[in-house]
Amino acid sequence: MEPKPSTTPSSFTDQQVFPGDVVLDLSKMANQTIKLGGGLRQDGDVISVMKAGKLRFSKPNKYWVESSNKRYVPSAGDNVLGIVVDAKADNFLVDIKGPTLAFLPVLAFEGGTRRNIPKFEMGTLLYVRVVKANTGMNPELSCMDASGKAAEYGPLKEGFMFESSTGLSRTLLSSPTCPVLETLGKKLAFEIAVGLNGRVWVNAASPSIVVLVANTIMKTESLSPVQQKIKVESLMQRMR
Amino acid sequence: MDLEREGGRGANQLRPIDCSRNVLSRAHGSASCSHGETRVLAAVYGPKAGTKKNENPEKACIEVIWKPKSGQIGKPEKEFQMILKRTLQNICLLNVHPNTTTSIIVQVVHDDGSLLPCAIHAACAALIDAGIPLKYLAVSISCCLTESGKILLDPNKLEEQKMKAFVCLAFPSSVHSVLTEGSINGIITSLTHGVMAGYTFLTLILDEYFQCVEQGRAAITPLSNILKKKLQSQSAE
Repeated sequence: MEPKPSTTPSSFTDQQVFPGDVVLDLSKMANQTIKLGGGLRQDGDVISVMKAGKLRFSKPNKYWVESSNKRYVPSAGDNVLGIVVDAKADNFLVDIKGPTLAFLPVLAFEGGTRRNIPKFEMGTLLYVRVVKANTGMNPELSCMDASGKAAEYGPLKEGFMFESSTGLSRTLLSSPTCPVLETLGKKLAFEIAVGLNGRVWVNAASPSIVVLVANTIMKTESLSPVQQKIKVESLMQRMR
Repeated sequence: MDLEREGGRGANQLRPIDCSRNVLSRAHGSASCSHGETRVLAAVYGPKAGTKKNENPEKACIEVIWKPKSGQIGKPEKEFQMILKRTLQNICLLNVHPNTTTSIIVQVVHDDGSLLPCAIHAACAALIDAGIPLKYLAVSISCCLTESGKILLDPNKLEEQKMKAFVCLAFPSSVHSVLTEGSINGIITSLTHGVMAGYTFLTLILDEYFQCVEQGRAAITPLSNILKKKLQSQSAE
């Protein structure tokens, strides 16, 4: 391979990278702390890419690769939608679309004691928070926020849940509010819960509103913000 | 005696390659790759919890299922499965998700020569689509040796059947790097079939196998660029 002229890491940020690309040379950056997010790994003296996606950088020192997949890589602090698979003595086993099942301790509820353990059947949809996610271990979940309050976590009753990619979930949760939700929210009344693992739950007074919201979100995934607004308007016209 | 290739291709010229991602809606990752007329479809499911019985639980396990275009799964399919499994085990990072299984299903849609390279490209693209952590990508090339000792890259089915020897090679793909020197060298997989000669002519040692390797290696960079370009144009949102 012909030697390439040395390029600074800033030329790789916001660019498409593929597995094997070397993005940082640590021997040239002494006495600096760098935080690596998902998709990057340290290989001796260099940082190389593990997953294909866009390389992102946020000041002061965090690098990560942003990609949209159908599977989820658990990380601490995320809010996800899980489905109960089994109930054991100490934990519920919950499927969060990750490499392994996650554990939800039976006491991880506000005011939870051994006497009032909730009874979740197989297939119950839960809105939970990921507490711990280390490699090789099953992730741990909780239905309380960091201060011990219930804060909207728990089972989601009624409504409709659909699965999509992690990229769509991030778009729906971005601030300022994503154009699809904003346009839908102006005319319709509905409840929505978005999990970072690619699951979305919608609930509304009538089934036709639920179907409209779900279909709109799924169809506008790959459009630009302007196109999204146009598409949403046209879909809502059809409903009137 | 110069060999005329179908379509007027040069000895080092490859057939048009096309690659597309996310072709199957239910698979966690999927890709379809074609080299000229040869087409292969690959689907990836995983990582899922649990490994098979005899596998090391401290590493991820990769399982490959090869489905031929027609007929039952027999010995040639099992051989392809084993070759593909060993190749993919080399490029995947196995310690990121220990005790999990990733299944890769390869379906041959049409075989017009150069089947294994096409399958390796399809499986790599499907792994990228699924977000499985990889060390690097693999690019693969097949070459065949004519009676007169000439080396042809990317043979089609007719050429493969007429040749005296056949080599299929997989290399790590070329990467974009901030480092000025240092590149990934080496061969991931090499599969040979037939008789290749090694002989000395005056003071030159002409070993046909190594010539094939050199010609294949020369094609890595253009091949990597084509594949990356195809995969990039779809993931951009």
